[in-house]
Amino acid sequence: MPIFDVIDLNLHYLTRFGDTIHAVSGVSFSLEKGEVLGIAGESGCGKSTLVNGCMGLIIPPLYPTSGDVRVGGESIMNRTPQDIRKNVLARKVAMIPQGAFNSLNPTRKIKDMAADVIADHENGGSKKDIHARLRERFTMIGMEADAVLNAFPIQLTAGMRQRSVIGISTLLNPQVVIADEPTSALDVTTQKSVIKMIFELLHKGIFSSMIFITHELPLLRHVADRIAIMYAGEFVELGATRQIIFDPRHPYTRALMGAMLSAEPGQKQKKPVAIEGAPPNLAKSITGCRFAPRCPQVRQECKAKKQEIRIVGERQVRCDYAE
Amino acid sequence: MLKRHPTLHYILTRAGWYFLTFLVAVTINFFLPRMGPSNPIDIIMAKVGSGLDTKAAKEKEEAYLKEFGLVELDNGGAILRDESGNPVRTPGWKQFRNYILMSLQGDLGTSFLNYPKKVTEIIKQAVPWTLALQFPTIMLGWIIGNILGALAAYRRGVFDRLFFPMALLLSAIPFFAFGMLLVYQFGIEWRVFPAIGGYAGNLIPSLNWSFIGSALYHYILPFLSIFLILAGGQAIGMRSMCIYELGTDYVKYAKWLGINENRVLFYMFRNAMLPQLTGLALSLGGMIGGALITEMIFSYPGLGMAVLTAIQGNDYPLIQGCTLLITVSVLLANFTVDILIGFFDPRVKAGQKGK
Amino acid sequence: MNLLKTPSFLIGMGLFLSTICIALLFPLFYNLDITTRAGVPYMAPSAGHWLGTDHLGVDMVSLLVSGLRSSLYVGFLAGIIATLLGTLLGVYAGFKGGWIDDIITLITNLFLVIPTFVVLILISSSLKEGRSLALIAFIIGATTWTWSARAVRAQASSLKSRDHIALARVNGFGTFGIVTMHILPYLLSYVFMVFILQTATGILSEACISMIGLGPYDSVSLGTILNEAMRNEALTDGAWWAFIPATILITVIVFAFYVINTSMEGVFNPRLRK
Repeated sequence: MPIFDVIDLNLHYLTRFGDTIHAVSGVSFSLEKGEVLGIAGESGCGKSTLVNGCMGLIIPPLYPTSGDVRVGGESIMNRTPQDIRKNVLARKVAMIPQGAFNSLNPTRKIKDMAADVIADHENGGSKKDIHARLRERFTMIGMEADAVLNAFPIQLTAGMRQRSVIGISTLLNPQVVIADEPTSALDVTTQKSVIKMIFELLHKGIFSSMIFITHELPLLRHVADRIAIMYAGEFVELGATRQIIFDPRHPYTRALMGAMLSAEPGQKQKKPVAIEGAPPNLAKSITGCRFAPRCPQVRQECKAKKQEIRIVGERQVRCDYAE
Repeated sequence: MLKRHPTLHYILTRAGWYFLTFLVAVTINFFLPRMGPSNPIDIIMAKVGSGLDTKAAKEKEEAYLKEFGLVELDNGGAILRDESGNPVRTPGWKQFRNYILMSLQGDLGTSFLNYPKKVTEIIKQAVPWTLALQFPTIMLGWIIGNILGALAAYRRGVFDRLFFPMALLLSAIPFFAFGMLLVYQFGIEWRVFPAIGGYAGNLIPSLNWSFIGSALYHYILPFLSIFLILAGGQAIGMRSMCIYELGTDYVKYAKWLGINENRVLFYMFRNAMLPQLTGLALSLGGMIGGALITEMIFSYPGLGMAVLTAIQGNDYPLIQGCTLLITVSVLLANFTVDILIGFFDPRVKAGQKGK
Repeated sequence: MNLLKTPSFLIGMGLFLSTICIALLFPLFYNLDITTRAGVPYMAPSAGHWLGTDHLGVDMVSLLVSGLRSSLYVGFLAGIIATLLGTLLGVYAGFKGGWIDDIITLITNLFLVIPTFVVLILISSSLKEGRSLALIAFIIGATTWTWSARAVRAQASSLKSRDHIALARVNGFGTFGIVTMHILPYLLSYVFMVFILQTATGILSEACISMIGLGPYDSVSLGTILNEAMRNEALTDGAWWAFIPATILITVIVFAFYVINTSMEGVFNPRLRK
């Protein structure tokens, strides 16, 4: 049974001006134990909203339109905020946020913030016990427990802060970890050690599966088992890493890979934003394919007919004309 | 050793710094008034010496000079004279030295106006009133103002929209202006509260209920005039800080971690308070000054009134004594706030390590 | 610019400009006479004297407008002096860094802590005669510059590490050149905001110092009006016209300045906008 299941998820925002923005449309995927799914897409494609949805944090102005999210078979939609806070967040689904090294409260020691997480999810347990547990955990994940736990964020390097955040997020052994750009703005050496740490945790079973979000496709190649490409609130392609990277079928994916592969030989990785045009405005209802205005292979029919997911060569593709 | 005790290091550094400031303040306090053209003795003489013939006037003048340490004395206590028989004036630096020595012994000189009353005596009577008014007012104003500001930031909505412009208006009114308005409206027009004084005119300060009751009654208006404005100003600042903190990454992360809402609020409040404390340190001097002016308006028998009457009567020793005391209290207060900041904000102490 | 559209800016500016108008244009239509005893002491407002008379019988309106002009003058002059002094020191300290910075910061912090109110009293009380408006402005400016020095220094210090400064240095510009051509333009908007606050401080300080009797010797200012009112027991006599209008004027001006400052902050510091 998959650990994590997202079934035809649709989420929308209600803005102050009365607009409805369909930020996530028809997203489906599942995660097996030990699996890493990478999600790539340009800014504004709906990644953040999807993340909130995956964590069960669907609170106004974000609303569920339809669909379900299940962790270990149990649905996490339509539960009260208190329920989500206590039972889902950090316990079942944990987040390692973007810019994690700024996510620590500057006036609180690491061990205190970590203790807060435990205290707010479990009842009982003396301070001593909790601190002992933290020390044990941090040592296990390869950090100098005493030095790090008793420090304030300002006393730690960016890399150490990032790893502290990873340690805190995974304290309660969640089943799914969502890592949102965990290595951006870090230097290359630190990036490597952070990735190494994340995978050690995965292999040790601290957490069971991961969603890795980034727009650095070369990174995904090393990290993900499967990759999903997101555009304008939809998954446009989803398949095994090798296939997505070396044999993309969706025009958008192809454009992204084209931008990447051309940079690869000996050059620094480029962000795949060299596609002309901009994503559609999701407040207006869109007929036909969302990528049509920018698609290099666009046909007349694309603008009229909504594209559904098809299976093409062992991957899911949202394009009637991909082959 | 100091490296391993950042707290101690911090306290000692700040103490040293404030001591330096104190030295500068004492020096300024002494020399500034003396830099002017007018001679205090002449002013006294103008008042006292009229109608006396030259010899008697001269004797009186010399008696005053002697009294105020402006002339050199020999061992027997008689005035030293130069060849023409004029008394030898004490040089400035010697006056300063004598001043310091005397002050350390608790003698701040003799008041001109209330001669022969000692300055310290006059100050001693005034200080309790000032302390009683300023200390609770400033503390309560600061605390409550910050709490209200945090609430406004967190709740937004109607409370905020009503509260914000009101607080903005209040915070911009100068202390004395508000004091005057209150005195006029409530003290004279509507006669709800007494307009002047610390207590009813026919009572003598003593520890009985009728006196205490009267004192409290007279306390209300001056208290309000400082408190409301202070609270308004703090609320505005705190509201901005909290709005900022609510949008920070760590608050978002804490929420993602499923940390209790109340705890998150507490994080935010505590972090937003730090710049407010710093702001407090910066404006303490101004607050105390403003409170003093309020005392003057209400003819409240504290240091404010003492300074006012001293100024009006050119009573230099008293002016100096008061300003010295005011400066010292401001320095002490600032020092306390600095220590508090160091206590609450670990970044300050940790920042020292990096040096 | 969207600044001009913000309601707070408009309100603040509006209030401020109206007071300037009163100060500058009013005398053209009205004969300001602050010496003649035009009526009975503490006469209530009437048709001939819209705001009554003071304790000597002089027309209150004349006193008020003259006082307004003086106060504004002192405030602006003090503001200019304080801003100039503070900006120069702040930029120099922030930009140069090192021991120059340390010394200037030390001096600034010294003066920040020592209450300016006290220093004002000490200086003014020693200058019994000859306290002109300009002198008072000068004294106020010389004691309130510390705040702007600190603020500007922080800005200059953060600018120092930007790329275009390094470029200028490489191209051989000296300190003075870099400061004037590369730093000051960026700071201008900030310095302007600082100037507004310093002027407000100046007006307020003048009012305070005059109120306690250490004000200008030969001129009327809003503060001296209040001092006269206090000394001649206008409060207890119920002669509200002798001090309430002056109080309101001071409050309105200071409020206008603060509001302008807040609105500018809202534009330059977008985090505070909802």
